[in-house]
Amino acid sequence: MDPIFLMNNVWIIICFTLVLLMQGGFILLEAGSTRMKNAGHIAGKTIFTVGAASLVFWAVGYGFIYGESIGIVGFSDFFYGDFTSVVDGLAGSVDFIFQLAFAAIALTIAFGGFAERGKLSAYVVFAILFSAFVYPVVAHWIWGDGWLGGLGKQDFAGSTVVHLTGAMAALAATIILKPRIGKYNKDGSANDLAGHNQVYTALGVLILWVGWFGFNGGSTLEVDGAFFGYVALTTQLAAAAGAVAAMFIVWAVSGKADIPTTLNGALAGLVAITASTAFVAPWAAVIIGLVAGFIVYFSMKLFDRSKIDDPIFALSVHGIAGIWGTLSTGFFATPELAAMNGGLPGLLYGGGLTQLGVQTLGVVASGLYAFIASYIILKIMDKVMGGIRVTEEEEIIGLDLSEHGSYGYPESMPEEKKQGA
Amino acid sequence: MENYQQLKEWREEKIKSVSSDHYELNRFHDVLMKKIVQIALKEVESEWGKPPTHFAFFVMGSAGRSEQSVWSDQDHGIVYDGENVTFKDYFLKVGEEITKGFAVTGYEKCDGNVMASNPYWCKSTLQWEKQILEWLDEADWEALRYFSTFFDSRVLVGDANILLNLKQVAFSKLAEIPSLYQRLYENVGYIKKGLGIFGQLLPEEKGTDAGTINIKQTIFFPYVNSLRLLALLEKIPEASTLERFQRLSEEYKTIKKYQADFLKLLNYRLYFQKETVSYQKVHLLQVKSMSSREKASLKELIKNGRKLFKETKEIIDQRCSR
Repeated sequence: MDPIFLMNNVWIIICFTLVLLMQGGFILLEAGSTRMKNAGHIAGKTIFTVGAASLVFWAVGYGFIYGESIGIVGFSDFFYGDFTSVVDGLAGSVDFIFQLAFAAIALTIAFGGFAERGKLSAYVVFAILFSAFVYPVVAHWIWGDGWLGGLGKQDFAGSTVVHLTGAMAALAATIILKPRIGKYNKDGSANDLAGHNQVYTALGVLILWVGWFGFNGGSTLEVDGAFFGYVALTTQLAAAAGAVAAMFIVWAVSGKADIPTTLNGALAGLVAITASTAFVAPWAAVIIGLVAGFIVYFSMKLFDRSKIDDPIFALSVHGIAGIWGTLSTGFFATPELAAMNGGLPGLLYGGGLTQLGVQTLGVVASGLYAFIASYIILKIMDKVMGGIRVTEEEEIIGLDLSEHGSYGYPESMPEEKKQGA
Repeated sequence: MENYQQLKEWREEKIKSVSSDHYELNRFHDVLMKKIVQIALKEVESEWGKPPTHFAFFVMGSAGRSEQSVWSDQDHGIVYDGENVTFKDYFLKVGEEITKGFAVTGYEKCDGNVMASNPYWCKSTLQWEKQILEWLDEADWEALRYFSTFFDSRVLVGDANILLNLKQVAFSKLAEIPSLYQRLYENVGYIKKGLGIFGQLLPEEKGTDAGTINIKQTIFFPYVNSLRLLALLEKIPEASTLERFQRLSEEYKTIKKYQADFLKLLNYRLYFQKETVSYQKVHLLQVKSMSSREKASLKELIKNGRKLFKETKEIIDQRCSR
């Protein structure tokens, strides 16, 4: 067997496990960013939704993305799987499992918008519908044989496909679900419903950061030329710059070197470099990370003020940073790297506005589709299921108990009041 | 004879008319607090008889420094002569009655239980002396906090000399161990940030207090703490920050120039807090409702408070290294 073929496959399977392990990062990130009474639910539902996303991806997701294009989606290869086919120089099964992990990440991001108030049944139904009808469409447009890919849209590992799509679904959800009880006061001021464990959140961010080398590095789909090393380099620089920029800006503006903001800065740097990692010079990766770290802070404030309650900051970290990352290649893509990885050089390299235009079109079209489709799905669910939000009492006692029957931290919860005499 | 309820009504009726002048307001608080103590003493007397010995009832905190705002909480203690155990019972009863009277009249109870109803703050002269020496020997964070609280004290009713003698005990001990002055400034070294690197005001961002600056923690404390430290250094027994400024010798020219800032701060606070209806909100300044000139002068006060604290530390460092 050709050793390069073999190594490519081994590399991508390793990257699959890294991307799957990012779910562990999300579990800690989300649980740490929310309150104790919802911790078991937030953590446990992630395992469930990875399961749901995997089954749907196998049944229809992969086929809608990579099947024979019928325009808006692909339409073949449903219930995927054999051990003989070869796709993009990889064993078909290896390519499939790697792509599956991305679909599951997009879904987990979307569920950030449900946090601390979505019904468990809403998670179940939306996991299926999002994995079948939202994510595959955008993925087909850009990574399958779709129209945006045809225009030369640059999205190396999925700033748009994975992060923006997930975030737009989260936006639709958070708008329909409305803010958590206690988030806003009568006079309109916002309260800080602080997460219960910053250590979890920080550890979650680090696990995501490590996993990102599978996410971006694996998106080379090969080891030939060891280009994944360069991808790792730009990825690391952007994450680093994002963390530094965010801590600086929150300290400068508010006087406090806020930890959650700093952590979001690192993630924003990672999300932003996801599209551009294979297209930009190291100095540009630093700029992309710095800008991501700055905008994530202002974006968090803006959503807060606009009464859009985003408990895990999915909209800012994955949405706004995803948009910035996608647009960034329109400025910074170098001629050599664009020639190697697709599309045209950016504005700063004399590429003119063409690539920036394509990137903008990609963001707008994908963002709008993901938002509108998710919004319609959730609205219908809301009607049919008699609401997708838990009742007031359930929200107050916590979703651990109301949705699953036991607390994640039983010893830390108030004792049940004795009834009767 | 008046009762607490009548005093409460009197307070509500009168306080508006004195609330725009720092001196008038604090004179009013003094009159009111004295009346409360008199009623309390009478009350206890009617059941337990006359006070068995010399004593002094003193106030601490903002009342001790004569820096009360429209609303303030209770911080007070009692010192009495003699060691008889029945004395303690008697004065604790007095403390309890005073605490009750203060609460009815609109002085909220102290969260930290710094009140004459607590045996810790109601002691004989000898016990107090022992306590002060113990605080200064211990010199850990909590002990020095208590000591600083105690030192901002002033006799409201009773024999002023009893308290003065206690302060002399502290002065002598500090003179023996000058490094304690440094421990004392480290004890109050945290100043809540009021200004960002761009010189912008930093109001609270979240919650029901969003948009406000805590004037007490951000602005008042550095002034009050600096002058307490200098008073200890210069053996000035007065508690009021303004008096402490005045009592400093000409040697402290650079420090004295901050006196005007502090006076401005006192009036400023009253100006912005006229409408405040509770103790919880009395330290909060609404930044949004301030004009740009007012903001500029607030920033100046914040900056100068920090400078004053820094200069105070430098003076103490120099003194202690001699």
